[in-house]
Amino acid sequence: MLVPLYGFLEGDTLGLVILVQDDQPVSEVARALQEAASMRVPPRDGMAVYRDGQRLDPDRKVAEAGLTPLARVDVRMESGR
Amino acid sequence: MLQREQWLDLARKLDWEYTYVSEREVFPEPVSGAPWLPHEAWSTWDEPYRTSYPEYVATQHAKEASVAAVQDAVGRLDDYRKLDPAWLSSLKLHAAALPLAEFDAVIGQLRAARFGRDSAWRNTALLGALDELRHTQIPLALMHDLVQWDPQFDWTHRFYHTNDWVAIAARHLFDEMLLLADPIEFAIATNFVFETGFTNLQFVGLAAVSQSVGDRMFEKMLGSIQTDEARHAQIGPAVIELLVEHDRGTVQRLVDKWFWRSWLLFSILTGFSMDYLTPLEGRQGSFREFMGEWILEQFQISLDRFGLARPWYWDQFVESLDRYHHMVYVSAYTYRATVWFDMPLPGPAEREWLAAKYPTTWAEFDPLWERITERWRDAGPGVEWFSHGATPVAFCDLCQLVLCGGSPRHNTARTVVHGDRPYIFCSEPCERLFLDEPERYRQHRDVVKRILAGEAPANLLELLRLYFGLQQDHWGKDVARGAYPWLGRR
Repeated sequence: MLVPLYGFLEGDTLGLVILVQDDQPVSEVARALQEAASMRVPPRDGMAVYRDGQRLDPDRKVAEAGLTPLARVDVRMESGR
Repeated sequence: MLQREQWLDLARKLDWEYTYVSEREVFPEPVSGAPWLPHEAWSTWDEPYRTSYPEYVATQHAKEASVAAVQDAVGRLDDYRKLDPAWLSSLKLHAAALPLAEFDAVIGQLRAARFGRDSAWRNTALLGALDELRHTQIPLALMHDLVQWDPQFDWTHRFYHTNDWVAIAARHLFDEMLLLADPIEFAIATNFVFETGFTNLQFVGLAAVSQSVGDRMFEKMLGSIQTDEARHAQIGPAVIELLVEHDRGTVQRLVDKWFWRSWLLFSILTGFSMDYLTPLEGRQGSFREFMGEWILEQFQISLDRFGLARPWYWDQFVESLDRYHHMVYVSAYTYRATVWFDMPLPGPAEREWLAAKYPTTWAEFDPLWERITERWRDAGPGVEWFSHGATPVAFCDLCQLVLCGGSPRHNTARTVVHGDRPYIFCSEPCERLFLDEPERYRQHRDVVKRILAGEAPANLLELLRLYFGLQQDHWGKDVARGAYPWLGRR
């Protein structure tokens, strides 16, 4: 099932709506958002997905991570990097 | 024959004493506004212009003749051809946003002309309605001649009839402010906050910029409209002066609400124009400087006059002065096909100017422009899509504008579940305004939710063509199509 998410990329200026499958890994959220914003912000390695300030495991599936339609996610440089 | 001062108050202050109906029946609270006060509380209502109808007609006739004379002299197609293309975009932006919003204001003024609580208020509002009709007609007439030359000018009339995202946001604001508001809310929202607080001063500032870029027609139009606005805007302070004695809380709540609602769209219209669409050599100062000198100072004086406090979000507002319109402009530039005017890419000289004018924040935005510039260098002139987004943009459930609050480091968007639905807001003030009046706002769907509901296409090209009403010949492009002398090729 497709899950639309409000995505905010660190360094970017606006929120985007990204679509991911609920059985895709959380890392796909970071990849999709960086790709969507790539004309403004160059994609970088080491970006993590955060929900309510909590880093999500990049290998967990979107559904397992509790990402429901129209949830807000932030993609930013992993803490400590 | 009676002298003016002998008959004027008899004409302006002519209120009836009701015998077979009650005052509440003549002025029902739902359309007259709250708090409902007996006429005795409003009987000293007055404003400084005290214009009679014959005086109004004579003055307006002279203004019309003056605008027509300038149009004859410098308002022809050849005159517009000489203007900088970026400035023409400023003209298209204002030409679309202004006239039919003014037509909404006719309705708001007419409601006050019937349901305002004192006859002097009603008389002033009636002249205000005639003003707003004039402000509808002038830009429509001036821009109509340009449509044959440039189809983007057709949006002067089309804009509010489309589902373009900017039009949805503008309608969301103006329908509430101008069509829905009762005379009390209209007086505070439109006459006091929007006109006295923002546009009356904006017209002065933009008229000066228009002169510096050689657009004498726009300068004349703004100047002519401003003199009308300065008069009918006096309704706002006159209403507030009496209302604060009875219900200061309502006045403060409405000021807080409408200052934020007005600010967001105002900063896009005026911030874009002053900091991006005005050619560098014509800039009078930055949008931030204009806001500090004209709006903040004057608005503070207006609040002090009535013992009102600054809106509760004042610190957030002041922070947004250095960022919000920059956030929106770079976002909109990379979605320029979703608007009806072309947008310039800031070059080295413009970026240097912006860095000097925004010393504390520009460093946050410059890397994005560097990236976009690099994309143009890679793609070459004419390849718009390489610096253009294709992913749907998210919108605020209150202001309906893009989620561009805060800074590139921290976007201030906030999510909340109300009832059984998730909502998202660009900022704390938008969230609070929504939660203050959820029944008023909760049914409205932003563009994203329309897409998800199947009301609008998800594919960007289909969204532009079928839903926003934009076609390739007139949707927004880079103003130079990427062919800037300073750009070079990789």
